[in-house]
Amino acid sequence: MKKHSPLLAAALAAGLTAAGPAQAEDSLTIASWGGSYQEAQSKALFQPASAAMGVTVKELTYGGMSDVRLQVQTGAVSFDIVASGSGSAARAGAEGLLEPLDYSMIDVSDFYDGLAQEFCVGGDVFSTVYAWNTDTYGDEGPQSWADFWDVEKFPGKRAYRAKVAGALEPALMADGVPPEQVYEVLASEGGIERAIDKIRELKPHIAVWWSSGAQHAQLMKDGEVDMTTGWNGRFDNAAKDGAQVAYSYNQALFDMDCFAIPKGAPNKDLAMRFLAEISKPEYQANLPNYITYGPTNRAAYDLGKISDEVARMLPSHPDNVALQLPIDTEWYIQFEAEASAAYQDMLTE
Amino acid sequence: MADAAAPSTGPARPHARTLRRDARLEQLALFGLASPALILLLAVLALPVGWLFYLSFIGNDGGFSLQHYERMVDSKSYARIFRTTFEVSLITTGLCILLGYPLAYLLSQLPKRMAALCLLAVLLPFWTSLLVRTYAWLVLLQRRGLINEWGMSLGLWSEPLALVHNLSGTLIGMVHIMLPFMILPLYGSMRAIPADLLNASANLGARPSETFRHVFLPLSMPGLFAGSLLVFVLCLGFYVTPAVLGGGKVIMVSMRIATDIELFVNWGAASALGVVLLVLTLGLLYGASRFLSLDRVLGGGSR
Amino acid sequence: MTERNRSKSLPISVGGVTKTYGRVTALDSVDLEIESGEFMTLLGPSGSGKTTLLMVLAGFTRPDCGSVRFGDAEVVRLPPHKRDLGMVFQSYALFPHMTVAENVAFPLRLRKVGKADRLARAERALQTVQLGGYGDRRIDQLSGGQRQRVALARAIVFEPRILLMDEPLSALDKKLRELMQIELRRLHERFGMTTVYVTHDQREALTMSDRIAVIDDGAIQQLGTPRAIYDHPANRFVADFIGESTILPVTRDGADVLFAGTPLRLAGPPPPGPVSLMIRPERLQLLSGADAADASFNRFEATAESIVFQGESYLMQARLADGQLVALRGGVRHDYDAVTPAPGDRVALGVHVEDTILLPGADGAREADDG
Repeated sequence: MKKHSPLLAAALAAGLTAAGPAQAEDSLTIASWGGSYQEAQSKALFQPASAAMGVTVKELTYGGMSDVRLQVQTGAVSFDIVASGSGSAARAGAEGLLEPLDYSMIDVSDFYDGLAQEFCVGGDVFSTVYAWNTDTYGDEGPQSWADFWDVEKFPGKRAYRAKVAGALEPALMADGVPPEQVYEVLASEGGIERAIDKIRELKPHIAVWWSSGAQHAQLMKDGEVDMTTGWNGRFDNAAKDGAQVAYSYNQALFDMDCFAIPKGAPNKDLAMRFLAEISKPEYQANLPNYITYGPTNRAAYDLGKISDEVARMLPSHPDNVALQLPIDTEWYIQFEAEASAAYQDMLTE
Repeated sequence: MADAAAPSTGPARPHARTLRRDARLEQLALFGLASPALILLLAVLALPVGWLFYLSFIGNDGGFSLQHYERMVDSKSYARIFRTTFEVSLITTGLCILLGYPLAYLLSQLPKRMAALCLLAVLLPFWTSLLVRTYAWLVLLQRRGLINEWGMSLGLWSEPLALVHNLSGTLIGMVHIMLPFMILPLYGSMRAIPADLLNASANLGARPSETFRHVFLPLSMPGLFAGSLLVFVLCLGFYVTPAVLGGGKVIMVSMRIATDIELFVNWGAASALGVVLLVLTLGLLYGASRFLSLDRVLGGGSR
Repeated sequence: MTERNRSKSLPISVGGVTKTYGRVTALDSVDLEIESGEFMTLLGPSGSGKTTLLMVLAGFTRPDCGSVRFGDAEVVRLPPHKRDLGMVFQSYALFPHMTVAENVAFPLRLRKVGKADRLARAERALQTVQLGGYGDRRIDQLSGGQRQRVALARAIVFEPRILLMDEPLSALDKKLRELMQIELRRLHERFGMTTVYVTHDQREALTMSDRIAVIDDGAIQQLGTPRAIYDHPANRFVADFIGESTILPVTRDGADVLFAGTPLRLAGPPPPGPVSLMIRPERLQLLSGADAADASFNRFEATAESIVFQGESYLMQARLADGQLVALRGGVRHDYDAVTPAPGDRVALGVHVEDTILLPGADGAREADDG
C-alpha cells in the first residue's frame, strides 16, 4: 500500500477539485484474501476506482465470512466491502449477514449469467480445472474428468482438493453424468454418496489433498504429483515461473469471486456506489494484466484493453465459457454442510 | 474495642492485636504484588477458555444448542480425527524420547562449556520460523527432493520413496520441531543429578548399565516426564507441520478447526472441537498424574 | 591389631601413586601401607590431596602412575564397581528415589541376594546404626544425622573388607559429630574392616584413628599413631595443623640448644642441623617458687598479657623477656580467680623436658618429604 500513497494523494486531490470538499470525508474499508490476488484486485479495481470517485480506500485482509458473522452479531461492523467466494457469500446472505445489493445502481446487463447474485456481485471469474505435468504426459494430457480418473491410460500420482467445494462435480462427470445433469444428480437421493464413492475409487492414487492454491501450484512446479485439480490462474503463474504444467477448460467448473456488503456496514451507500464503479467494463478489463482471472463483465472484452491472445486464456472468454459447468451456488447453500461431512468421513477413512 | 474486651490478656500479651494485624497486612501486600500476574492469567487464560466454552454451546440460530457436539457424535470423521491427533502426538513424543534422551545424556556428560555450545546448536532452530523449517523438510523429502535425488543417484533405491505428504513426513517434521522441547528439560534434570550418586552406585557394585537403570534413569524421570508432557501437549494443537507435510492425509484437530470455521462460517463448531480437545487432554493429564504421582516425580529429583 | 579377624579385612598397599591435574600435582608419588583391620585417617587441609588419595582407592580417580593393592590383588586398573569397597560419601549420596530400606538393600540387590534375605539384612544393618524400623521412610524425611547412619548402613551391609569414609561427619553439628565419632569407632571394633577415613578435623582424627597420615601438598608429612603425631610432630606443618603450638627460635652451640642464651634441658640428643622450639600451650604450666629448682623443667620468665576464660580451660598469652608471645592453657576449677594471674603480673612458666620438642628447621619450616 505504502508505495502507492503519492498516487493516492494525487487521486484524492483530483477528487477534491472534482467533487467538492464534502467528499473528502468519504472512506471505505475493504477486506479481501491478501497475497497476489488482493494485489491484483487493488491495482486493477480499487485504486483506479478510488481515484475516480475521490474515495479513500483502506484495504485489510480477513479470515472469511466467520469474521463477518462475528462483526454482525456483535454489532461492530467495520468492513464496508468484503471479497468472498460465491458459495460462502450465498450462505452468509441466506443467514442475513449481508446487505442485498441494489442492481438499479450496479449495471450488470453485460454480466455473464449467474454472476450477479442477490447478496454478491461478481468481481472476477476463475475455473476449477484439471492440470497435468507436460513432462509426464506431453501434450496428450487428459481431456476430460474421465481421463483424470483413468489411471491405466494416465498412470501417475494425483492431487485433489481437501475440501468438498468443487470436488464432487468432477467425480460425477467422470462417472458419466453429463455436465448439465450434475447438480440434478447431486441434489437427488444418493447423489452425494455416488460422487464420493467415485473419489474413493481414485483415492489410492491421490498422493496429496491440497488445501490452498499456492499449494497445488507448488505441487505441479516441484513435480510432486503428475496431475491435480486446481484454479487456472495459479497454473498460468506457475507456468510463467517455468513449471511444466498445462490445463484444459473442458468440463472445468466455472466459478466466481464476488464482492458483498456486510449487514450494517458503516458506509453502505458509498459501498454500493463503489461496487457499481468497479463493475464497469473499464475496470474489469484491467484484471487480466495482473492475474489470469477473467472479467465478469462481457463488455470488458470490447474495450480493446485485453489482447485476443490473453482473452483466449481467460475462463470467461466465450469459447471457454461454453466448455464449462457453472457452479450452482443454490446447491451449495442447501447441501454443502451435509456433503462436507460425508467428504471428511471419506478423507479420514 | 478488642483491647477493652479482653483486658485480662492485654497486659500478658502486649501488642498481640497490632502484631496480628501487621501480619495480615503483610499478606495482603503480597497478594497485591501477585495481582498483576493473576489478572494477566485471568485475561489470557480464563476468559478466552470461558468464551470458548460459551461459543461452543451457541447454535447457528444464536441460541443455546448442543448441535456442535451432536455433529461430532454423528459424523464418523471426528472420532477418527481425534484418534489421529492422539496417535500422531503419542508417536512424536515417543520418537522425541528415543532421539532426545541419548542426546540430552551426551550433553549432560560434556564439560559445561562444551555443553553450552551444543545446547546453543539445539536451540538454533528456534531462531528460524516454524513455517520455514517445515517447508525446508518439504524441499528435502518430496518426490524430486534432495533426499530422493541423492538416494537414487547413489543407487540406494530406484523409485522415489514416499517420504512426505503422509504420516512419516509429518512425524519427521514434528519430531524435528519438538525435539528441543524434549531435550531442554531432560538436560536440566540430568545436570541436576549429583555425580556422587552415580559414584555411590558404582561403589556399591553396580555396572554402568545397572547404574543407569537403577539410578540415572529414575532420577532423570522428572525431566523426561516434563519433556514428554510438553511435547505431547504441543503436538495435540499442532497445525502447520501436519498441514504442510501430511498431504491432507494426516488430519489433526487443529486442521479440522480451521476447516469448520470456513465451512460453517461460525465459531461454535470450531469452539466445540477446541473444548473437546481441551477436556480430553486434561483428562489424559489427570490420568497420567494418578499413575505417576506428579508431585513426587517433579519434586523428588534432587535434594 | 594382630588379634583382629583378618578374614573380614584386607591390607591396602599404595605405592608411588602420582596424580596431576594440568600443572597442579594432587598426589606426588605417595606410598602408604595400611594394615588389615586398621583404622587409618588421612588428615589434611582442603586441597592437600587427601580426598584425591581416597578417590584413587575407590577407583573414581585414575592416577597417572602407581600401584594400589588390596591384599595380594593389584586393583589400580579395576573399575569402581569391581572393587567391593564400602564407602560413605561426604554428601551421603543416598538415592532420593528409594526408601531407606531400598537404599541399604541396593548393594545386596546388585549382588543378586533374594528379596526377603536382603530386606532382612538391610533391617539388621539399620539396627546396627540404631535406625531399626526406619526402612519405609523416604530419604527427605530424615535428619542429617539419620541420613549419615543410613549411608553407613548401606556401606557395611554387604560386609566389605575395606571401608572408605570421605568426611562423613562434616555436615553434622558438634554434639552429634562427637557422638557419631564414638559410634563409628565402635562399629569398626565390631566389624573389623580396614577403614580409611578422610577428615580435615584434627580432633576427629585423634579421637578415632589407629594411625594418622597427615597429608599436605600431595605428600604424606607424617605417619603415626595419634600420640606420636601429637607429641612429636615431624615438622612445623604437622605441629601447626594438629593441636595448638607456640614455636620459638633457638640457637645451637655444639651439642647444646640455647633459648634466649640459656641451654635447654632436653630428654634426648637434639636432631642435627638448625632447629626450633615447639611448646604445646597445655603442656606449659605456671611454676610456683617451690618448683624453681626442679631440674625436669625448662623455666621461662614472662609477663601475663591476657587471660581468656574458655569454659573447661583458660588461655593465657604471656610475653617472654625477649618480647615473644607464648600461649599457656590451664584447667579451670573453683579456685580459678584465686590462682590465675592478672594481666601485667610477672609469671614463671615451665615446660617438662619430655614436652620440650625440637622441630627441624631454623624457623620451624617444614623439610620436604620426611613422612
